[in-house]
Formats: sequence, structure tokens, C-alpha cells
Amino acid sequence: MTFGPRGARVVLPCWLFACFGFSAITDLRVLLGCLLGVALLFPRQAPRAARRALLTAVPFTLAIVLLTWAHARFLLHVRPDFHAYAGLVLRAALIAFATFAVLGAVDLLGALAPWPTLSRLLVVTLAQIHALRLVVRDSWLGLLSRLPRRPSARDGLRNAGGVTATLLTLSARNARDITDALRSRGF
Amino acid sequence: MHIPDGFLAPTITLPAYAAAAPLWVWAVRKHFGPSQVEALPAVGTLTAVAFVLQTIMIPVPGGTSTHLVGATLLALLRGPLVAFVCESLVLLVQALFFGAGGITVLGVNALAMGLAGPLAAWLLWRAFGRRASRAEAFVAAYVGLQVSTAVVVLALAAQNHLRPAQFPTPWPVMAAAMFLPSLTVAGIAEGLYTALALGLLLRLRDRLPP
Repeated sequence: MTFGPRGARVVLPCWLFACFGFSAITDLRVLLGCLLGVALLFPRQAPRAARRALLTAVPFTLAIVLLTWAHARFLLHVRPDFHAYAGLVLRAALIAFATFAVLGAVDLLGALAPWPTLSRLLVVTLAQIHALRLVVRDSWLGLLSRLPRRPSARDGLRNAGGVTATLLTLSARNARDITDALRSRGF
Repeated sequence: MHIPDGFLAPTITLPAYAAAAPLWVWAVRKHFGPSQVEALPAVGTLTAVAFVLQTIMIPVPGGTSTHLVGATLLALLRGPLVAFVCESLVLLVQALFFGAGGITVLGVNALAMGLAGPLAAWLLWRAFGRRASRAEAFVAAYVGLQVSTAVVVLALAAQNHLRPAQFPTPWPVMAAAMFLPSLTVAGIAEGLYTALALGLLLRLRDRLPP
């Protein structure tokens, strides 16, 4: 199931309401049922959405929950409620799964078209994030190639000032180019 | 510091959205209207830097994580409302594309990390007046991060009080687990980042867009 910009403007509020609904469920069986329901509603997007949720939202939430559980169990010597902790992970997984499935089915930028400033800011930010990640990776590889040994934290810190200056100058130029390009295309 | 999706029930997240929504509208109208189009590249850049800073998260046992925020720098340079919008955008991008934080808790996270902390830092910075330098920027950012942490702790504590089945960690455990790294590591790192980047940006001011 995929939706164009008009369909997306209907689907996105429904997804938002559903997410709030999911966030109030504490029964594990109902949560599992909702997971199944979302998978049945978006069969084409489900495998990719599940993989993304398992790689992003789930590990982090699981780490937090396990740390909290271990803290309560071994430091405070109390027996934590398994259902409550499992519910935290399942709710996070369900909402992430539904989000990725819906985003895979809708044209988000098309749906945002009536709000050009928001679209522009979102595009500029996403492009900048990509550019920044590339610059950080390139500068780290550059530092690796310049040193005969593996760079220490001190080397990294010493390099960080120059990298930040280059990064900000470059990304400011990139952002201006992207904004000009968007404006010339009528955004 | 992001509260993940599902940790807070709509009894807290909906009022947070209701409080944040008018502020979003006001801030966007005031600072991101057609007349301020020239400022978008610089704001986009600082937003992206804040995003990159927030990708390094350390989970803590209290129910969330600790990390740099980067919004204080935006607040000192462009004002707390710009910081609020930019931080909200960072949180939205993280929730939609990277599975960090969440869409239902966006209002709470934005109010904590985008408004309360940066606003406290900005007020402190203003209180320092003309004498404000790197050391004052450090103090402002440090205090700002602690204020953000306090708001997150408050939201989670309220959830535990209202419905323990939804969030079972008691507030003293959570407060200790969150404030310890925030006071000892994240606050200092945020202060250093803000002080150094502010100094650098003020030196580069002529080469950057308005």
C-alpha cells in the first residue's frame, strides 16, 4: 500500500493518533496484536520497517531497560515487574515499526509541500547531516593517514578545532547552495 | 536525554504537545517567515551540528540516556525560540528516520531539551551582560543542560507517579542515574563545546552567512 501527497495528508494524522493510542497500552498481548495488525496493514513495507526498528529503536530501548532492570535487581535488591519492563520495549518497538512502515508508504516531502519553509528547513537539515557525516569521516581518515600510529583521544581533540572550523565553513556554503537550489525550484 | 516512545502515556505527552504547539507556531512565524529566508542556511547548519552531537548517546539506568544537546549554542547565537524550533526539528528527524526519541514524546523532549535548558542558559547569559565571555558561556551551557535533565526527570517521575505499570522506575533511582552523568560528564562537555564553538563562530562571523 502506497499513498500520494493527498493520501499522505490523511494517513499521517491517523498514524499520529495510532501512535498515541499505542503509547497507552500496557497489556503485552494487545501490544503483540497491534504489531501483527500493523504488519498486516503494510505487508510490503513490513520487512524493511521491522529491520529498521530492530536496528535503531529496539537496541537502545532494550539497553536502557536492561540497565534499569539490572540496577533494580542487583543494586536495590528488588524484584522488578517483568511485564512493565517488557511493555516499555514492546511499545517502543511497535511505535518505531508503525512509523517506519507508514513512512515507507507515504511521500513525506510531498505531504509537507503546503508548508514550504518547513520543507526547506527539513531538506537543508537532512542534506547538512549527510554532509557533516561525510566531513567527519573524511577528516578522521585524514588523521589516520597522517599519523604512524592509531590516533589517541588527545590527537582527536587537537584535530577537532580545525575540523569544526572547516566543517562549519563548508556546511554554511552547502546550506546556501541548497537553499538557492530549492528557491529556484519554487519551494 | 531523549525519552523513548512508549515510556510516557498520552496523559503527559498530549498536554506537552498542547504546550509546545503554540510556541512552535509563534517561533516559526517570528523567526522563519519569508522575510527571514536568508537566515535558514546558518540555522540549518547549526541544527545539523546539534544533530551530529546528539547521535552519541550513552544509555543510563534511569530510563533514558545522556549526551550533548548543542541547543545552547543556538540559543546564545539566535535566541531561545530559534533553538526551540531547531531542536524540535532535530528531534523530529531523529524520531522519523533514526528511531531515537519518538514521535509521541516529541513535545516533552522538545520542551525539555529545546526550550527549558536553552532558555535557562540564554537568561543566564543575558544576566552576565557585557562581561559575557567563554567562561560565562560554559557556565550557561552547564546550567542549561542540568535544567533540561531536571525537566526529563520530572516528566518520567510524573509518569511513574500516575501509572507505575507504564513506567516502573521510581524517581529517586531515575534522578540519581540521570543527574550523575549529567553533572559530571555531559554538562562539562556541553559547556566546553558551547564555549569553544561560540568563540570560533564569533571569530568566523564575517565568513558565515547572516
